[in-house]
Amino acid sequence: MEEERFPKFVLGMMKHLNMVIILYLTMVTVHSLRGYIFENSAMDFLVRAERMPMEPWKLPVLSAGLYLCLLLLLSVPCRSKTHFLLKTIMELAMVFVISYALNFSYTGLVFLIIADTMGYFSDMKQRIVLMASIFVVYMLMDYHLLSARYPMISMETCWAYYNRETQSLLLGLKNILNSLNMILFISYTIVLILTEVKEKERILGLNEKLNTANLELKLANEKLEEYARESEKAAETRERNRLAREIHDTLGHSLTGIITGIDACVMLVDIAPEATKEQLKAIANVARQGIKDVRRSVKALRPDALESLDLKSALIQMIEETRNSTGVEIDCEIRTRLKNFNKDEEDIIYRIVQESMTNAIRHGKADHIKIWIDREYNMLKIHIEDNGKGCGTIKKGFGLHHMEERLDMLNGTLSYCGDHGFTIDAGIPIRWGTEEDDD
Amino acid sequence: MVRAALCAVLLAVIWLAASDTYKRLPGFYEDVIRVGVFSDSYWEVQNGYSYQILEDAISRFEEKHPGVRVEYVSGIIKEDYSEWLSEQIMKGTAPDVFFVLGEYFNDFVEAGVLKKLTPFIEGDPDFQPERYYTSAYEYGNYEGTQYALPYECAPKLMFVNKSILEREGLAMPGDHWTWDDFYRICSEVTKDTDGNGAIDQFGAVGYTWEDAFDSNGVTLFDERGRECYLTDEKAKAGISFIGKLDELNGGYSVSSREFALGNVAFQPMLFSEYRAYKSYPLSIKKYAGFEWDCLTMPAGPEGRNISRLDTLTLAMSESTVHGSQAWELMKFLTGDEEIQSEIFTYSEGVPVLREVVESEENQKFFSAAPDTGNVLSLSVLSDAVEQAVAVPRFHDYDSAVAEVDRAVRNILESSSNINMETIIQNRNINSYLKSKQ
Repeated sequence: MEEERFPKFVLGMMKHLNMVIILYLTMVTVHSLRGYIFENSAMDFLVRAERMPMEPWKLPVLSAGLYLCLLLLLSVPCRSKTHFLLKTIMELAMVFVISYALNFSYTGLVFLIIADTMGYFSDMKQRIVLMASIFVVYMLMDYHLLSARYPMISMETCWAYYNRETQSLLLGLKNILNSLNMILFISYTIVLILTEVKEKERILGLNEKLNTANLELKLANEKLEEYARESEKAAETRERNRLAREIHDTLGHSLTGIITGIDACVMLVDIAPEATKEQLKAIANVARQGIKDVRRSVKALRPDALESLDLKSALIQMIEETRNSTGVEIDCEIRTRLKNFNKDEEDIIYRIVQESMTNAIRHGKADHIKIWIDREYNMLKIHIEDNGKGCGTIKKGFGLHHMEERLDMLNGTLSYCGDHGFTIDAGIPIRWGTEEDDD
Repeated sequence: MVRAALCAVLLAVIWLAASDTYKRLPGFYEDVIRVGVFSDSYWEVQNGYSYQILEDAISRFEEKHPGVRVEYVSGIIKEDYSEWLSEQIMKGTAPDVFFVLGEYFNDFVEAGVLKKLTPFIEGDPDFQPERYYTSAYEYGNYEGTQYALPYECAPKLMFVNKSILEREGLAMPGDHWTWDDFYRICSEVTKDTDGNGAIDQFGAVGYTWEDAFDSNGVTLFDERGRECYLTDEKAKAGISFIGKLDELNGGYSVSSREFALGNVAFQPMLFSEYRAYKSYPLSIKKYAGFEWDCLTMPAGPEGRNISRLDTLTLAMSESTVHGSQAWELMKFLTGDEEIQSEIFTYSEGVPVLREVVESEENQKFFSAAPDTGNVLSLSVLSDAVEQAVAVPRFHDYDSAVAEVDRAVRNILESSSNINMETIIQNRNINSYLKSKQ
């Protein structure tokens, strides 16, 4: 921030210094002209000057007044290239007239214009072209060059009014002021270029950072793509697992019922052919249901009962069908309304009950199953126990494994025990609810 | 945007002030023409009518142009006039119309003090430059541009000590006399009258190479003052003639005091001196003890009886805002017959209008002079003015003349061949002229 302001500060100094120079030259010249008049050597002066000098009061009005105009013009911002060109030409014209008023004894104002216009261009080529063209104007604005063509009074002729010593002092001071102006101009140029070099370096640094960030972003993108691919693969695997589960759940369940029913029929067929007939009808129903389930699984991978019925009715229907097809005694107690679950949750609840019954009948050879569903705070609790043979060490079959997996997906819990028969306790968080919803 | 507008306003104000345009604005404009004039006569003689002609002109001009006022500052003597004028010019308070002394005309033109009159002359069908004597009119011309109008003029004439001629038994020369007549009389009067061994009666004093050149048709410089023609045969004849005249005096340097004492036969002087000391109403007996009169200048073998004309001109200030009115006043002062004929009455010069000089009224006026024996007729005077040599006008003419003066002196003093010496001196002058450009 400080560095950016420094060239402006130098430019401001230049503006002030030029005002001082103009006032100094004007005042000394006016004083010398008045001196000629008061000392009655006006004729001598006219003969020597070979030119009519400007009226004394006009000199400061013209030079200082035009300089104020120039300062105003310098502070007007440029909007377009034409605007800039026009402005620069006007500024140069003013400088020319001011220099003319000062008899071209001082033309350092041109440097002020150069310094100001330099600020508009950052391109070195344009800047050099501009500076060169203004320099040409500067070189042409030379007293000796112009006075050959257009008669003018040299500043020295005016200042010849003073004695030699005073003249040397006055000219010396003028030269010092002129040199100061040059020094300020050179410092301005250096400072401006240095500031720009720093700015460029800063921009380069930023660019580098941007490049690094871009590279990192690219890497991250690649990783993300890889991750997306992996995640796609995972989804595929998951889907495959789900399909396997569906098949196991539906077809496995139906087949288990059918096998158990047919086994029973084999035993019954000779003793009670009528009962066997009934049993076979029930088996046929299970098989049909199985077929339906498979079809539905293929279609939507969803229990068919759930498609047409609500969860509770679907559960009751399934339990009834199992009871009928297998002859196993099943007690079912559902103490809460099973509403407001989403399809996934309904699926899981349905499958847990279905799987547990299948397991109890297939592996536990149970003939009595108790199902109890209730709500405890924000958890739906499912408790299923049978009077089967249970198992000492639980070998997680496909069914149990999937049950766990599914519950995990819903942040649910699962615990089981195979000591006296087999007991399963599952908990599913209820997202939606308060007690009131329930009632 | 505000800054740009402010800048434009400031520029406009500066322009109004610096270009003097504000002087034309209502509230600043004054219908007053200021005239720069000096109190005493231009012709180095005292008279009591310093502002008479101007006063008459002003009252008649103001009558003709109601609403316009003409003012002048009185009491500035001729000696201080150019300084006063320069101060006014430097202060920016220069009079709109002012008289220009001949010796400063070039300086003023070169300093850009005088307004070019060309646009006024070309835009004014009433203005007839041919009414003026050509030589007088040309006096206001610098390098082809008219900067001033003639107001009054005076040709150089040859003053003759009639008493010496009578004493020596010589006849008074006629108006068309020549160098030979001049030389013959000079050689005959130059002698030692009291017999003390030193010459005490001389032929001529103050007759310079310039007089000889003018009367022998020499064009000394080209129009722009870039080349000098001193090697011209006519010029060489002039130089030889001056040398011959000088030789008569035997090395004695004659001063104009000798003429006043009555010891010299001829001295060239301006017509104004003749008017001042000879004719009515200003007959002051400056030259007591001898009879005198004046003649035209003697003609050289290649020239005529003509001489140089001194002219007082009237110019307009470059910075005036009353251009057209100032021009009218200038025209009135220089071109009005009544005003111009007042020059014969109240001044010692010659009017610049031919019709005024040759008018019957003035003829009578001159004839009425009590001092009879006046040999100068007005027609001769008119011819002398008309044919007078116009002074060349170019940058640094005066210093070029000084160079020629030095060169002529060198040639006369040199013992070597005049042809060789003129070539050398001419080369010196030309290199000087070149260095001045």
